[in-house]
Amino acid sequence: MATREWNPLDFDIGEEEDEEGTPSPSSISPPLQYFDRDRHVAFLEMMYNLMPHHYQSQEINRLTLAFFTISGLHLLRALDRVDKDRVADWVLSFQAHPRSRAELKIGQFYGFHGSRTSQFPPDENGVSARNAGHLASTYCALAILKTVGFNLLTIDKESILISLRNLQQPDGSFMPVDVGAETDLRFVYCAAAICFMLEDWSGMDREKAKEYILKCQSYDGGFGLMPGLESHGGGTYCAVASLRLMGYIEDDLLSKTVTSSIINVPLLLDWCMQRQAIDGGFQGRANKPSDTCYAFWIGAVLRILGGYKFIDKIALHRFLLTCQSEFGGFSKYPRDLPDIYHAYYGYTAFSLLEEPGLNPLCAELGMTDLTAIGII
Amino acid sequence: MDSREDDGGEPLSRMAEWRDVTPLPQDDGPNPVVPIAYKEEFRETMDYFRAIYKADERSPRALRLTRRAIHLNPGNYTVWHFRRLVLEALNADLDEELDFLQRIANSNSKNYQLWHHRRWVVERLGANARAKELNLIKKILSIDAKNYHAWSHRQWVLQALGGWEDELDYCQQLLEEDIFNNSAWNQPCHEFRDSVVALRTSDTDPLGPDLSMAICDILEHVDSLRASYWIWRKNKLSVAAV
Repeated sequence: MATREWNPLDFDIGEEEDEEGTPSPSSISPPLQYFDRDRHVAFLEMMYNLMPHHYQSQEINRLTLAFFTISGLHLLRALDRVDKDRVADWVLSFQAHPRSRAELKIGQFYGFHGSRTSQFPPDENGVSARNAGHLASTYCALAILKTVGFNLLTIDKESILISLRNLQQPDGSFMPVDVGAETDLRFVYCAAAICFMLEDWSGMDREKAKEYILKCQSYDGGFGLMPGLESHGGGTYCAVASLRLMGYIEDDLLSKTVTSSIINVPLLLDWCMQRQAIDGGFQGRANKPSDTCYAFWIGAVLRILGGYKFIDKIALHRFLLTCQSEFGGFSKYPRDLPDIYHAYYGYTAFSLLEEPGLNPLCAELGMTDLTAIGII
Repeated sequence: MDSREDDGGEPLSRMAEWRDVTPLPQDDGPNPVVPIAYKEEFRETMDYFRAIYKADERSPRALRLTRRAIHLNPGNYTVWHFRRLVLEALNADLDEELDFLQRIANSNSKNYQLWHHRRWVVERLGANARAKELNLIKKILSIDAKNYHAWSHRQWVLQALGGWEDELDYCQQLLEEDIFNNSAWNQPCHEFRDSVVALRTSDTDPLGPDLSMAICDILEHVDSLRASYWIWRKNKLSVAAV
């Protein structure tokens, strides 16, 4: 698990799309013809209690791993498997705290750490060395807290929002950490989702963020991760979901008789529809192999636009079942080993397909509707 | 990935060089969620890293330690960031750093942190690094011609340091190898892009409504995966024509 998959949560998983779908002989039995909820619950429960050593390369993303596990259990209507108070306490322990309000504007981001790599207990003067709050970890932290029913009004949201501004760049994009990193649509999405969950847009300049997003729409209708880059399923999700969260596009655009929109909707729709391949799965870019997670990234865009009804659901369902693992979870490609990232996006994809026994999905937040609305 | 050049992979606790350092274990609290079953080598390396990082020790041995930590969790942005601080403090040879990055490139070709670090190095080397960098990216693309990170980095190098005049030829060569390489089609070689944009910017369907509806009819039957979409599209067209 050395190389990196794209992900707004900056998650690092197995080989990306360069192998053209070569399956490993991990399973010799034919795929199950149904979504095996019990097996998936067992898979997530195992992860909740102990993740295998292969995930040590994901150390920096502990909170993301926790988000996939806990939100995954909620999607499967199995949240009773977790101790909600324990989870909330653990997540809250990752929050970075400023010593004073003056510290909020000098450049650092007081969100949540992603792991214990650089988190140290405060010294005798109450000083915590090395704040390393990260946008994606903050998104995950808030999402987990909401999922377990923790009241977000009780956290220090001011520190998060005031210091969030330190991460926005002059072109409207966001950097994920204050010490310097790549800036692209993934982190615009994280920022928008954070403000949305905290119900407070003072943390970012929405207009500038919108301008950056619009520059990412490519000539073929999809969105690249940065202006000029190739249209990409993940970039397109981040763009459209952010615009929706920020209030720049309406729900179910296609059913309305709006003649103009800030984005080229017909071209975007065309691009999304072309991503369903002949094997029924969704590809992340033109002429790439189908991959489980794009059933969510692109499926969710279609859901937001009101165009999910156009896809071939039977073909997609069939493809996804070939990626369902006998160990529980989902793999990237058919008949391969599962990982927690593809497991989670497999569950969200099945939720979009309205699989019985799963909680409905809030497409623009990537978590259950219940969590998004605030119902425990 | 070859990280064993300097320390042979020996446990740090048994190395004389590290005798003066007390490793700092992580504090995951009383009831951690999703704990990871770390292997001993990982746990030990990160405990020493935490100690050095907290002490802010920017020394040659710290540099070697970051290499070891990068090998074990190459996505760890905190380790990469600290490596940059150490490189600066030691006034290290950045050409050597580029060589190091190229050696680990193949097993980290989709690693955001590696590419960001590479960009940081190239920014400091400036225009002199352009030719070498464009060639290094070509090597990676020769293994995976659609590597999104490589293309993103390539666009950045061209924008920051120039070199667009040769890019069209390079993309043409890639398309001769694989006409379906969408990344090569996307590369903003302006002559090509301008004509595509001109085709796409008209409000009305450029083919005219009758022909468009006929095409939707055909696609409804030939592209059965998207049949319902072509029907909707055809109906929408007939409304628009009125």
